[in-house]
Amino acid sequence: MTRWFEDITENETFPLGDYTFTEAEIIRFGKLYDPQYFHIDPDKAKFSHFGGPIASGWHTVCVGHRKMVDALFAEEERLRVIGQEPGVSGPSPGVNSMVFKAPVRPSDTVTYEMIVTSKRRSNSIPGWGLLFYRLNATNQHGDMVYSAEIVGFSKLRDYKPTPLQKLTIWAAQLPVIGKLLRR
Amino acid sequence: MTNPVTIDRRHYEDLAVGEVITLGTIKVTKEMIITFAKEFDPFPFHLDEKAAKKSLLGGLASSGWQTAALSLRMLVDAFLSKIASAGGLGFDNLKWKMPVMKGDTIGGTVTITGLRRAHSHPEWGIVTLAFNITNQKGQPVMSMVLNNLIDVRDPKAPITGDAA
Repeated sequence: MTRWFEDITENETFPLGDYTFTEAEIIRFGKLYDPQYFHIDPDKAKFSHFGGPIASGWHTVCVGHRKMVDALFAEEERLRVIGQEPGVSGPSPGVNSMVFKAPVRPSDTVTYEMIVTSKRRSNSIPGWGLLFYRLNATNQHGDMVYSAEIVGFSKLRDYKPTPLQKLTIWAAQLPVIGKLLRR
Repeated sequence: MTNPVTIDRRHYEDLAVGEVITLGTIKVTKEMIITFAKEFDPFPFHLDEKAAKKSLLGGLASSGWQTAALSLRMLVDAFLSKIASAGGLGFDNLKWKMPVMKGDTIGGTVTITGLRRAHSHPEWGIVTLAFNITNQKGQPVMSMVLNNLIDVRDPKAPITGDAA
């Protein structure tokens, strides 16, 4: 979140906007990352139980991530405009669950929203907090497209490291970060 | 109705828990990282080497979603395009364990850890696939557990065991 960890309220909902998937985009993503016939070949896709081409679930998820990043940048800008220093968001350690529900067909419009469900200070990386959030994607008929439980890092504003902790922060920037990132 | 696209592929009955699928490899270049990040993950630490060095990642690294999408691509090539796949149901416990840095080559294995019939849809089974994605040094970079639907060749066969 591009708001300081301390300023994020649990259960706050952030609308992320929507995105319309074209057949050309669905096929382009599918050919790169998920070349199963029902994502890349409209003629063959008719024989699948979907009855036609559908977007790779990973395509809808990647677009959802982009919408979230755009919303973070917009929030950063909003804070700057009102004279506040924005917070710092970090990489994500992972996704607890992702459920694909309704398929996304060409011309479908998917609306995304993010809800911070809980937060806590990181045990492994001093100066950072963990945000647990839910990302919901819904189509134009109101059907759930996917729902995900994701974890993200957010920097603490009110954090004064001791010299030892400063060293740990420096060490966390080395490529051995993986072990430190484990929650 | 038989599906002419998948009729000759492996079906639910042809799979077994414990099967290990060896993935191919993909070299992740700086250009790939920046192209993906511009479209889906435009944080400065995925777009710019200087910003990346100062970030928690310690250098230019792929978006976690790019690592995941490339891992899926490797599974499609090695497995999903050879079975009567009926689509993904979702995944659990996706963990990004280490950043994939520019120039790294990723690969790994996927193990079938579960197989069960779908109660409400006798024509489908659910195959559970555990990913262990590694870099060229053999270090684990990502893991996740994917659930995928697969056609049953004989839907009239009785459903036994732990059906979902």
